[in-house]
Amino acid sequence: MLANYGFVNDAESASRSKGMPGVRVISTKVPCESTVIADIEAGIDKAWNDIIIALTKPLTAEEKNPRAEKTETPARIIFKGSLEEVNRFFYRRGWTDGLPIIPPMEEAVQEMLIGTDLPADYLLGKLQSRLGKATVEKVAINAVMAGALPTYMPVLIAATIDLLESEQGFNGYTTYGFSTGSWSPFWIINGPIRQQLNINSGSGAFSPGNIANATIGRAMGLIIKNIGGVRKGIEDMGVMGNPMKYTMVIAENEEESPWEPLHVEHGYQKEDSTISLSFPQSFLQHYPPGSDATSILQSVIDNITRGMRYTIVFNPQTAKNIAREGFTKEKIKQYITEKKFVPAVQPKNQLGNSGIPGASPSQDLQNKPEMVPLIRDPRVIRIIVGGGPGAFVAHLIGGGATPGKKEIQKIELPKNWEKLVAKYKDLAPIYAKY
Amino acid sequence: MSSKTEGFYEVLSPWAEADPVPYRAISTRIKDLAGKKIGLFCNTKRVAEPTLKVIEDRLQKKFPTVAFSWFFNLAPNEAIIAQTRKDEFDNWLKGVDAVIAAYGD
Repeated sequence: MLANYGFVNDAESASRSKGMPGVRVISTKVPCESTVIADIEAGIDKAWNDIIIALTKPLTAEEKNPRAEKTETPARIIFKGSLEEVNRFFYRRGWTDGLPIIPPMEEAVQEMLIGTDLPADYLLGKLQSRLGKATVEKVAINAVMAGALPTYMPVLIAATIDLLESEQGFNGYTTYGFSTGSWSPFWIINGPIRQQLNINSGSGAFSPGNIANATIGRAMGLIIKNIGGVRKGIEDMGVMGNPMKYTMVIAENEEESPWEPLHVEHGYQKEDSTISLSFPQSFLQHYPPGSDATSILQSVIDNITRGMRYTIVFNPQTAKNIAREGFTKEKIKQYITEKKFVPAVQPKNQLGNSGIPGASPSQDLQNKPEMVPLIRDPRVIRIIVGGGPGAFVAHLIGGGATPGKKEIQKIELPKNWEKLVAKYKDLAPIYAKY
Repeated sequence: MSSKTEGFYEVLSPWAEADPVPYRAISTRIKDLAGKKIGLFCNTKRVAEPTLKVIEDRLQKKFPTVAFSWFFNLAPNEAIIAQTRKDEFDNWLKGVDAVIAAYGD
């Protein structure tokens, strides 16, 4: 296997995780995503001897009979020390997101576990890439580290199940981990739990400052890292990285929406609580030039860029202005699908190969100069209402499940839910007046 | 919570257990390249095809009796091979003596 030198660790990790640790990975200087032939030839020439050896050198004893790894059973109590020592120990192990963590002591984990009726050793599933066992206790430990409250456990368990059951091949863990695209998990929460947990759906919903929005997303990032085993620069080969990976959580503002909420679109009851997952790469905001539906939607169309899944967040007033002219969510999706055109070359070549062996992007451009719809299936668009007073509209553009595949999970609540909510609900910032 | 007030923390591991993956050996190597058929596994990444083409050209010049067989996989590897094209892929593998894959965008 030829690998760009920056991908050797990734290639070896992938080989081991697929049960073939002996795959001969040849490090090359062939540049990534660059088709400059002189550079490719130079990279191949430099690796030429290694290529021939990899093809012809007899297998070593280790390659013939690779030794199985032992079952990994990390100690339950992993460290004892001061706050600073704990943080540095966890950081050096690669177990944090770089920010300080709350030490996951037994008492704190036990308190976190009161947020679920599931036993601590209940196995939700095995999370890619290393197929780490996602037990309820491991979810709780990572939740404590993130600073989450026990009432977030039902959300975190549902979110973990959503990841585990994501579409094979282009799913949650894959888009987070095995790509250069820097895709970020983006969680939308619907239903009564939004208010019970004080999840921000209003002003500055995407900004820091709300414990639920901040720590639910952060906990999921730690779960992906510490249970899934996704390491930056190895499994997570995102070129640029993505600040949205710290956290990207919003509640839909169902109360101020003129439309049915996202989970109802997916067949759930309004009284149900759900969490939805997608993997945007980019976040952008724009300012529609008018208040009429045509101006607003043209502004949306102008700002849609290439992606596979699109979430458009309309602020309440803008949503009302559009809805006033008869636009439902479905009509908006259809309108965008029918109006957004791009040069034909774009959709075929954006992901790399032209689809025609031997063809180059420039050949495609010459043969197909016409404009074509950017979006062929309106179901790739999701519309929610969120944000505060004002005109700005937000787009989250990137990846996610194929329409019709799993992307939403119902949140199951423990029996004593009302008591738990009452215990933790009053935790909210009260700003000084000045 | 005395440990908290004393500034001493006994903490649980966030790192998940994982069962070992059963390992398999890689295929036996060919002794030399003369007269062999080399499989070139090409994925979606745009540098994969020209890279493998350079290798094909180099090998052909150095070993004129080498033959080649390409497998173009234009969807995410694992999904397409494990699901929709497994038989086609397995048959392709049976027809080649060695495979070179390009990895890493």
